[in-house]
Amino acid sequence: MTGSPLLEVTDLLIRYRAGLFAPRPKPAVNGASFRLERGTTLGIVGESGSGKTSLLRAILRLLPVESGAIRLEGRDWLALHGRALRRARQGIGVVSQNPFLSLSPRLTVAEILAEPMLAAGHRPGPQIRDRIAALLSDCGLPAAFLDRRARELSGGQAQRVAIARALALEPRLLVLDEPTSALDVSVQAQILNLLSDLRERHELSMLFVTHNLKVVAHVADSLLVMRRGDVVEFGPTEQVVHAPAQPYTRELLSFGVHSRTARKEPS
Amino acid sequence: MPLSDTTPLLEIRGLSVTIPTPEGDVHAVRAVDLEIGRGDIHGLIGESGSGKTMTGMAMLGLVPKGSRIGAGRFHFDGQDLRQQAGRLRGRRIGMISQDPAAALNPVLSIRRQIDDVLRTHRDLPRAARRAEALALLAATGLPDPEKVLRSYPHQLSGGMQQRVVIAQALATGADFLIADEPTTALDVSVAMQVLALLRRLVAERNLTVLMITHDMDVIAEACDRVTVLYAGRSVETGPVEEVLNRPAHRYTRALLGALPDAVPRGARLAVVEGSFDDPDPEGAA
Ligand SMILES: Nc1ncnc2c1ncn2[C@@H]1O[C@H](COP(=O)(O)OP(=O)(O)O)[C@@H](O)[C@H]1O
Ligand SMILES: Nc1ncnc2c1ncn2[C@@H]1O[C@H](COP(=O)(O)OP(=O)(O)O)[C@@H](O)[C@H]1O
Ligand SMILES: [Mg+2]
Ligand SMILES: [Mg+2]
Repeated sequence: MTGSPLLEVTDLLIRYRAGLFAPRPKPAVNGASFRLERGTTLGIVGESGSGKTSLLRAILRLLPVESGAIRLEGRDWLALHGRALRRARQGIGVVSQNPFLSLSPRLTVAEILAEPMLAAGHRPGPQIRDRIAALLSDCGLPAAFLDRRARELSGGQAQRVAIARALALEPRLLVLDEPTSALDVSVQAQILNLLSDLRERHELSMLFVTHNLKVVAHVADSLLVMRRGDVVEFGPTEQVVHAPAQPYTRELLSFGVHSRTARKEPS
Repeated sequence: MPLSDTTPLLEIRGLSVTIPTPEGDVHAVRAVDLEIGRGDIHGLIGESGSGKTMTGMAMLGLVPKGSRIGAGRFHFDGQDLRQQAGRLRGRRIGMISQDPAAALNPVLSIRRQIDDVLRTHRDLPRAARRAEALALLAATGLPDPEKVLRSYPHQLSGGMQQRVVIAQALATGADFLIADEPTTALDVSVAMQVLALLRRLVAERNLTVLMITHDMDVIAEACDRVTVLYAGRSVETGPVEEVLNRPAHRYTRALLGALPDAVPRGARLAVVEGSFDDPDPEGAA
């Protein structure tokens, strides 16, 4: 089984249900196909409404698919249901855009990190306490943070806690939906550095969703570009970045400091 | 050329803003020098908590109640902002904020919201106000201004809402706009369009803009000059090309090195030492 990719998605079609008499809406994801190799990061990029979150939600089985297939570690992932599905889903860690919405503001960091372990049936005790401290330090926060409440954290600190929580059950796959979009560029840099450390240390595979192509071009081994529900590019990062098939993709890369200094620097 | 055209529009020396709180004074702004020439888009960059918004709020006369403003010089077009900020706000100085959805009233049509501004600030008869509202929306590049006028905020995308907010700021007749992270909530491609729009409006309408951001890419896309803020102090200022190519302050270099395309793929990005977000600032060098 070592040859099979961690995740393989084929012709996935996702369509939200409309009202009873409303016309059938366009698919939110219109036939997506891609593979995620073990230990690698796939970047999924596209503007708002292009279908990125819908795609992630379908992979997390939070959203039904109309047609297509998803295989996770070689298994038919769409065939799992009920308790078996809930158990298997613990193998996927999730980090979302706004850490303040995803962390209960009144809980302490220790309580937040304990929660997935308790929900998975681990018994409270010193092991959990040790594991929590290890997770926190893994994510670059000193143990003093264990007793802080979520509402007392800065955006970057809260996102570190959210990442620690996603890692609590030692997932093989980490799914990140715009994990740095609400952060300052300088804090984003810290989180991107952290993710690359964690990936090495834990041999994680990642799906990294963002509207910022420059961000995923930095972290991802391969890139998938979505536009209005369609996959318009999929390939190794170097290929998509250096020879984009779409003018749209080029546009998403050619702005900012490096374009301006290249343009204006006398040669 | 009249003298006033060569003097800077905005001149700030040693600005400080101190906010009293139950836990003691917060030094939100410690020492900011800022000089903005007429017709420039001047960037103010720094990370969260560095005092960017409070610097802008001081110019608008909107600091929290009881705050103390100190400055050697705090002048807008020759007038002292310490006395005149309230009067200049909405007449000469306008504001574009980060979150257009929050800036617009969700229960009023766009027509009503722009008309309210025109009625307050411009002495125009009803028909002229309507024509002006359409012209302003068209100037911001909105494709179907008639339809936008009839819309409510939730019916517009984030990029369209931000264009409406810009039209509203122009409706006051202001010639100096403080844009506080105007593109942070937008997609990259939409953000670039909004920045291009601001550049065009500045050229067409003789505007001057203070562009507040945490992102050097925004500075590079939109600005003529830039001032770098660190912990409430201005630490570097100059033409954008010069600051990007030869950053003098180590903090400016860190902001540039934090951009995801600053280093080869997978290499470590620069991290600001002793940053406000550093989990362990005592440990920082
Ligand atoms: N709960 C929902 N019900 C109906 N349509 C939805 C829902 N969520 C998203 N959509 C639609 O699906 C499309 C893709 O949305 P989404 O996956 O959220 O895109 P992205 O994450 O790229 O911004 C959009 O047209 C959006 O309006
Ligand atoms: N209303 C307030 N009361 C107390 N402190 C404030 C208030 N507003 C801002 N501050 C503090 O002032 C400093 C500068 O804030 P701000 O100007 O908003 O920074 P920026 O816009 O650069 O993120 C921060 O330390 C912030 O916590
Ligand atoms: Mg989304
Ligand atoms: Mg601010």
